[in-house]
Amino acid sequence: MRGLRRPSRGPWTRALAAAGLVGVLLGTAACGGGDGDGNGGVEPGAQSDGGEAGDPVEGGSITIGLEAETNSWLPSEGTFNQPGLTIAHAIYDPLMQRAEDGSVQPYLAESLEANEDLTEYTLTLREGINFHDGTPLNAEALKTVFDDYLKAPTSRLAASLAEVESMDVVDEYTVVYNLAATNASFPDALITAAGWPFSPTAAAAAGPDAGANPVGTGPFVFESWQRDSRLVVKKNPDYWQPGLPHLDEITFRPIPDEDTRLASLQSGDIDVMQSLRQSTVVRARELDGISNYENLGSNAGATTLNTSIAPFDDVRVRRALAHALDQESLIATLGGAGITPAQTQFFSEDSPYWSEKVADAYPEYDVEKAQELYEEYINDPDRSDGKPVGTPLSFTFRCPPDPSLNELAQLIQSFWSGIGAEVEIEQLEQAAWIQRMLGRDYETGCTRVGGDGDPYVLLDGAFTEGPLNMSAYQDPRIDEQLENLKATRDIDERKAAIEEIGLVLNEEAIHTYVGGTLTVLAGRDAVKNIDGWTFPDSTTKGTGAANADTMWAHVWVTD
Amino acid sequence: MYVLRRLPSLIATLLAVSILTFLMTSLLPGDPALQILGAENATPEAIAAVRAELSLDDPLPVRYLHWIGDALTGDFGRSYRTNEPVSQAIVERLPVTAEIGLLAIVIALAIAIPVGMLSAYRAGTRTDKVISSTSFGLLAVPNFMVAILLILIFAVWLGVLPATGWVNFTDNPVQNLRSALLPALSLAIAEMAVYTRLLRTDMIATLQQDFVTMARVKGVSNRRILFRHALRPSSFSLLTVAGVQVGAIIGGSVVIETLFAVPGVGRLLLEAVLVRDLLMVQGVALVIAVSYVVVNFTVDILYSYLDPRISHGRSAARV
Repeated sequence: MRGLRRPSRGPWTRALAAAGLVGVLLGTAACGGGDGDGNGGVEPGAQSDGGEAGDPVEGGSITIGLEAETNSWLPSEGTFNQPGLTIAHAIYDPLMQRAEDGSVQPYLAESLEANEDLTEYTLTLREGINFHDGTPLNAEALKTVFDDYLKAPTSRLAASLAEVESMDVVDEYTVVYNLAATNASFPDALITAAGWPFSPTAAAAAGPDAGANPVGTGPFVFESWQRDSRLVVKKNPDYWQPGLPHLDEITFRPIPDEDTRLASLQSGDIDVMQSLRQSTVVRARELDGISNYENLGSNAGATTLNTSIAPFDDVRVRRALAHALDQESLIATLGGAGITPAQTQFFSEDSPYWSEKVADAYPEYDVEKAQELYEEYINDPDRSDGKPVGTPLSFTFRCPPDPSLNELAQLIQSFWSGIGAEVEIEQLEQAAWIQRMLGRDYETGCTRVGGDGDPYVLLDGAFTEGPLNMSAYQDPRIDEQLENLKATRDIDERKAAIEEIGLVLNEEAIHTYVGGTLTVLAGRDAVKNIDGWTFPDSTTKGTGAANADTMWAHVWVTD
Repeated sequence: MYVLRRLPSLIATLLAVSILTFLMTSLLPGDPALQILGAENATPEAIAAVRAELSLDDPLPVRYLHWIGDALTGDFGRSYRTNEPVSQAIVERLPVTAEIGLLAIVIALAIAIPVGMLSAYRAGTRTDKVISSTSFGLLAVPNFMVAILLILIFAVWLGVLPATGWVNFTDNPVQNLRSALLPALSLAIAEMAVYTRLLRTDMIATLQQDFVTMARVKGVSNRRILFRHALRPSSFSLLTVAGVQVGAIIGGSVVIETLFAVPGVGRLLLEAVLVRDLLMVQGVALVIAVSYVVVNFTVDILYSYLDPRISHGRSAARV
């Protein structure tokens, strides 16, 4: 986790940042404003110091601006992207959470123990915790939630719990998860929605409206929700962690537009905002009286090549296309010049799984090499697309209709045209694009690659048989390492396996990358401890404000 | 009666609207089943199961009849995505959009009527030219640009109005008005320019007519001539266009509601389209289309109030 604190600056920065707001809209770089104030080259921040926050202040309320609304708050029904995740962390407690060092540790759970071959996980709950409606949190409640909701045919968690066959109640506070096969990554699933216990009595009573009436064990109690407008939570007076939460009330407001969300923070309508856009992160840095809590996420802009069809089934073509791209200029079109380093693998430099060896193995920008490989392929009499020798490559690059992605696509087109390929750009809506990719009915195009969840889950989905293997690439060397990854929780062994997979992927050039996703929670200086949350033992540090998300119980406000 | 005579064509229009709405949304690319399941859960079996559950594999005419039959009883189904009843979502959202739209029309008319009259009265003078070029200028500025500038001025610099957000009228009427003002103003600016231009043109023609000259000869004051005698016969085009422009306001609300983070039907529709929430899209589109048709039907009826000759089936051409 990285954070950034900037000292207060003169009022002129406020005006300039505002000018940047219009500048972006007009598609021009407002001189001196926003992106270009000389701080564009600042690294994603120094380590922020939690001790700086001072002593906690009890009471008060804050409003948080998020980038989107969430469809449902029932863990088995909702799609929890960053905005949803951060609200869920106010209402629900995760059974497990990720600590600063990347390890997965018990949070709401007392403990989680695996058997020898990692097929049975025994989870023990803390005693005496109740849901907000008074229903006790016990093994029976977990089992009801598991059977009736998480494993229901319509559950959105079907994939993440596919390997969990059943749950057994051992005693009042102990359950066993029975897995179909060895899986070292199972504890990660309990960080996500599959591990957020909710009151089975409340859910049953609400029936189809359960998604609009969440009842968890978390630090805040759900109060009201007007979709696309605001969700209000109030302090849980009986919270199981003594001394928490500090705030009396939080209002979450989805404000989808980046410019107006930032303007709302400037005007004081909201106290904290979330953003996953690099240009917004930079503009938030310029604001007076605002602190940025930044993190470089692993989900990178990328292109994926469909290796199931010619000519992308030939590694020479894939490497030629990768060598032809100048990552720095691609990053610049997305507004990340000097802010986001070039990504070379599934994990960003902030991730414990990042490997320098893999970074070095990525096909670097080298037009001559690209040209050489390209010529070699098109002049090969046995070229895989069966076309006559010398025929240039001709294919379609697809991208969703976002203005910055459109610029990115055009730049990629010009790089690839530079070595002789004929590239047509086709814009199509996200929904239609995903469908084409799942059906492998595409050649190449804009995708996002990587993620901050468990590496096994991520890599297994991406490179074994299944709908998420959009590149259609499989390799025995990867399969072997996936087996290792699945069978061990030893962090060094896991890192070694991930590194091997990364090397194969870069050698084969399955993806070309742009940059990681710089995320931020930007808050008024009076809002304290945004990235300082700890585990219930009060000493183990959490992941701070990673991915623009935090545990709100630990946050307080001084005015 | 005039209203009764127009009723069959109204019903035919609504029927056509419902069929088109249904067809267009059903033919959008992108499988709703995939959206519901999420990419990671989308095995072919799961997709088939969801499609079967939602009757997505039935022939289109069958699906249409089911849908319209339920819709007539007010049941638009539940959203695939949120599990929220579509009718409930519309009932919650429509007042927000209606309030902002109405406020926009009121603001636009309140400014356009006096300005348009002034422009006509002073036709050809410097005042007229300034008003005309300003109107053209405002017409050329897209509403999202106006919205950002208004937020910058009134929220960020002056700090007098909220930048984004919505407060329900029942929770706090004053805050409600404050939250509606900037979105309404963003929509009103372009409307205002259109109305001003129209009223000016019509009123110049009216002011050249015999009955106006007659009134002048009789010594009636200018103010009285403009407001009592000339405004009503000059407002036909204005009224027609105000009716037609309701469509522009609804269209604009998609953008404006997203920018101002306001929970109206425009934003509901946009998000539903993006995730292929078909029942929601169809329900909202139908309600919007029906509102539009009904508004313009009302405008037709208002003509007969403005000019009684219309209800007698005679030409509306001025003498």
